[in-house]
Amino acid sequence: MSKLLKRALKYAIVPAILMIAGKVIGIFIVTIKYGYPIEIGNDINGFFSTQIYFDDSQITYFVNSISDLVMLIVISVPLIYQILKTSLFQSTVNNPKTIVKAAKFNILSWITKDDTTFLQTFVWCAFLWLTTGLIIKNGIEGDTYSWIAYLAGSLSFFSGLLTLKIFEIEIDRVYPDSKKYY
Amino acid sequence: MRNSDIKKIFTTILEPIAFGLLALLFIIPSITVINLEPLTKAFKNLDVLGVSEKAEIEIEIVGGTHQIFSREKIKKNEDGVFSYTTTITRRDSDRYSKPILVIKNNKNVDSKIEIYGHTNLPTKSDISLIIDDQVYRLESPSGDVTSHKILLAPNGEYTVYLAIETFSDVQFNEDFELEIREIE
Repeated sequence: MSKLLKRALKYAIVPAILMIAGKVIGIFIVTIKYGYPIEIGNDINGFFSTQIYFDDSQITYFVNSISDLVMLIVISVPLIYQILKTSLFQSTVNNPKTIVKAAKFNILSWITKDDTTFLQTFVWCAFLWLTTGLIIKNGIEGDTYSWIAYLAGSLSFFSGLLTLKIFEIEIDRVYPDSKKYY
Repeated sequence: MRNSDIKKIFTTILEPIAFGLLALLFIIPSITVINLEPLTKAFKNLDVLGVSEKAEIEIEIVGGTHQIFSREKIKKNEDGVFSYTTTITRRDSDRYSKPILVIKNNKNVDSKIEIYGHTNLPTKSDISLIIDDQVYRLESPSGDVTSHKILLAPNGEYTVYLAIETFSDVQFNEDFELEIREIE
């Protein structure tokens, strides 16, 4: 089995778990905080056998929106951290002034070890796209606040661009930019 | 057989399994998240003295699966108007029906409701509601939409069926919306 596949499998486990956990935690935090009555059913409804019920459509709308937002946050925050870390690491290689700035903000630990790879960032980015797809679907169907769908779309777009930038940096390591040498 | 040959065979078998696992790591969270999306359903209000219900009209969705009716939802707006929506998927020419709602009149007096339902696009389908074996045509094949007033008996419970009949195959999905308002 190829190393790439093994590593992709390894990197995909955490975001897969976080995606489900974000949705569940989002639902239960809002329900507990506002004391909404909740019922868990097991009617066989198409592909699924477990349903979470609320007795008011406005509550359902609110809980679904907030749980979508929590899911988006738990997937996007680690991805943004990885992108920032990789960018910062590369910046310190090319520009020593960045080390001073990193020390000023007490984030030197981010640049002491380059343990974030393009594959890891790409896998997280794929999960962010998946999350965004689900949120946009909910937004179109009127099950989530539209601003959450817009936020997810924007985050995915910019994360995609930055992931591409990281890919270019990784490629430059293998095939260095000709401008640097000629 | 040499060790390298065994390793090669294992690699050949394991690699597609690993690809499948990787795909599953994306598919399972997506399905789970869709499954976890909350739904709306009227709860039974129980207290220590027994069942207590508000004196008002209550509408519950029946749910379940059907060949052509999917994505059923019911919402109640601020004016107290119930809005039931469903997607009617592509289908062969035939007559289809499904129980969609249960209407309960929790009052001790008669109540009158008005029903009004239509598809977003005219589909040359005959769409009607069946309540207590009485057929109420909502949309005719020519696209004419009719509203109906229905009298609900005190403490009555009615199962509402949505029926659709088409004389030619329909090759696209259509959204259907039914509005139910209490008028008396």
